[in-house]
Amino acid sequence: MSYSTRVAPGELVVIDSGPLGAPLVREIHRRVLAAGAHPLVNITLEETQEALLREGSDAQLEFLSPARVEEIETADVRIVLEAEENTRTLFAADPSRQTVHKRARKVLGDRLFERSASGELRWLVTLFPTQAAAQDAGMSLVDYEDFVYRAGLLDREDPVREWRELAERLDRVAGWLDTKDELHVVAEGTDLRLRVGGRHWVASRGFENFPDGEVFTGPVETSVEGTVRCSFPAAYHGRIVEDAELRFEGGEVVAAEAARGRDFLEEMLALDEGARRMGEFAFGMNEAITEFTLNTLFDEKIGGTMHFALGKSYPETGGRNESALHWDLVCDLRAGSEVHADGELVYRDGRFLDGLF
Amino acid sequence: MIDARVERLAELVVTYALELGEGQVVRIDGFDVAAPLAVALYRAALHAGAHPYTHLTLDGLHELLVKEGTDEQLAYVAPSQWREIEALDAQVTIWSETNTRSFGRLDERRHGALIAAQRKLSNRRWERIAAGELRWCGTLHPTNAHAQDADMSLRDYEEFFFGACHADTPDPAAYWRSLSATLQARAESLAAVRELRILGPDTDLRVGVAGRTWIAADGKYNLPDGEVFTSPVESETEGEIRFTFPAIFNGREVEDVRLRFEGGRVVAAEASRGEAYLRELLDLDEGARMVGEVAFGLNYEIDRFTRNILLDEKIGGTMHLALGAGFAQAGGANTSALHWDMICDLRAEGEILADGELVWKDGSFVAPLDVAVAGERG
Repeated sequence: MSYSTRVAPGELVVIDSGPLGAPLVREIHRRVLAAGAHPLVNITLEETQEALLREGSDAQLEFLSPARVEEIETADVRIVLEAEENTRTLFAADPSRQTVHKRARKVLGDRLFERSASGELRWLVTLFPTQAAAQDAGMSLVDYEDFVYRAGLLDREDPVREWRELAERLDRVAGWLDTKDELHVVAEGTDLRLRVGGRHWVASRGFENFPDGEVFTGPVETSVEGTVRCSFPAAYHGRIVEDAELRFEGGEVVAAEAARGRDFLEEMLALDEGARRMGEFAFGMNEAITEFTLNTLFDEKIGGTMHFALGKSYPETGGRNESALHWDLVCDLRAGSEVHADGELVYRDGRFLDGLF
Repeated sequence: MIDARVERLAELVVTYALELGEGQVVRIDGFDVAAPLAVALYRAALHAGAHPYTHLTLDGLHELLVKEGTDEQLAYVAPSQWREIEALDAQVTIWSETNTRSFGRLDERRHGALIAAQRKLSNRRWERIAAGELRWCGTLHPTNAHAQDADMSLRDYEEFFFGACHADTPDPAAYWRSLSATLQARAESLAAVRELRILGPDTDLRVGVAGRTWIAADGKYNLPDGEVFTSPVESETEGEIRFTFPAIFNGREVEDVRLRFEGGRVVAAEASRGEAYLRELLDLDEGARMVGEVAFGLNYEIDRFTRNILLDEKIGGTMHLALGAGFAQAGGANTSALHWDMICDLRAEGEILADGELVWKDGSFVAPLDVAVAGERG
């Protein structure tokens, strides 16, 4: 509360969570009150989403509730707690119906990003550990809770100070990357070139995601060339795509393969014009996250990884890609990788070389 | 495992009570513990072609707000809430508590401030309902807290509750349509009555109802339902009444309430327990001492007192009076921040005369109706 969202008196704080997040919702509610602000809690159910995707007509899939539309416009702070009961609730949902639903909701995502970029709204996505998330991570709940708290540096003596220190380091990396134009990433199955000149690198320091720890930008839309192989499975809306391999030409995905979930991958790529383009490129730099847990919020921050998002870019990076999609795919760079910036080797096996910034 | 009774209740709310149609926007309000009914309502609304969405919160948050919030926070209504009220075609409220006494120790004044802020929203809701722009239905999802208040196990309480809704039968809507005809006929038969006289133990009360409209509560606004009610002539309540069931307001109980009326106003009030609270509420405002509602409970599936007004006021064979606000649609003119239903058991003894003629004895109307009767005790 004091670090991530900095809630001020009189502000409207909208809090979304699944029912299992109740203990954390209550604690946040209490602190929002103590900060003199107005909490508005919305408990969302996985089953209604399942019912909508399974049984709704196109008109119903496209419907935006007045609550959602108004909250996006009036909230000062928006907090989303992931607290899933079953991460595969939407596994059997028809991807084409998801497409209809996602397209209609694009306007909400756009407004969120716009208001956030212009400083009118702060948002935060975080997670409350549940059995479902632990199971996806291949852990007991107890071990997973430890993992989550370590990832948030909450096991440290002074977490806020630790986050400030990490933020300073991320700022330096982002400032240095701002001076670069062409990036060339080489790893197993990956040989990717992209241009980032004129775009802005953002240090993601625990304000919008918690835990956090990455630097990201929006690459020049037409500049991405080559192949990339995503070594980690990518979970998205209850579906999983394994071992995705994408080939880019002129900034667009022209070929896509996957060991599992290829149909879903194709469906998402066909969502709209911008879904085939890279809206975000980023380096994960949270050294306290070392394990893959099949949850993007954590996986994309793993120290020594890179990720890119298909679809919409964040306006504050200067990225201009438009899409209803924003799907992060993560590649492990910790073993056998190199990144060159404007022809110079700057990153090897998951780390930036010493003495660069 | 989905309880078929929950699905039938949801279907009943959507098709019978709200009559949801294509493209209508419906919000489902409640607590997270009501998720099974919320999901069933959501699905039933989808099947009706409507646009449902849930508006669920957690128990305990209001208590926290009353306990720790500033006056400004207590009075706050989010702008989105105002705009939603205008945008909705229908709304369902699911009452479903995890602890019915969680407001028991809170500061009354601060709790009152929260209720007053929320009343601004609900007043607008009732305006839109009265104008025919919005449909609303309130129902319940059984929890252990409600069962405990009823001195029952959850399993028994579920049986009791779904029975009262007739959701334990294959076609509850058919039952409610038939009961609706019965209640309408009962309401019409009372239309010409000028004065009711209620006689029972320590009770001899005259209530003027001339010119007022009797309304059949037939499952459109509440489920379960089953009563006929009106708002009496404000100045014409005279005599004494003793309420056999505890009178409950905001989770606080007042036992064995005895009231004496003169010229429509309570002039003496006693209770065996909670008398101070009774007096406090009577002094709430000008209208709190006047009767805003008189009604007959006619749901004979509800055969016991369970400390929940949704059910208690409909107990077959009882009648109830409400102190405070009357109903404009019944011709009532009394205004008050209070609307406190008090229930009088007339099942074992007690008679009601209408303009001097015996109309009610031993818990039911004496004259049969000329319609296919559902729900009346035969």
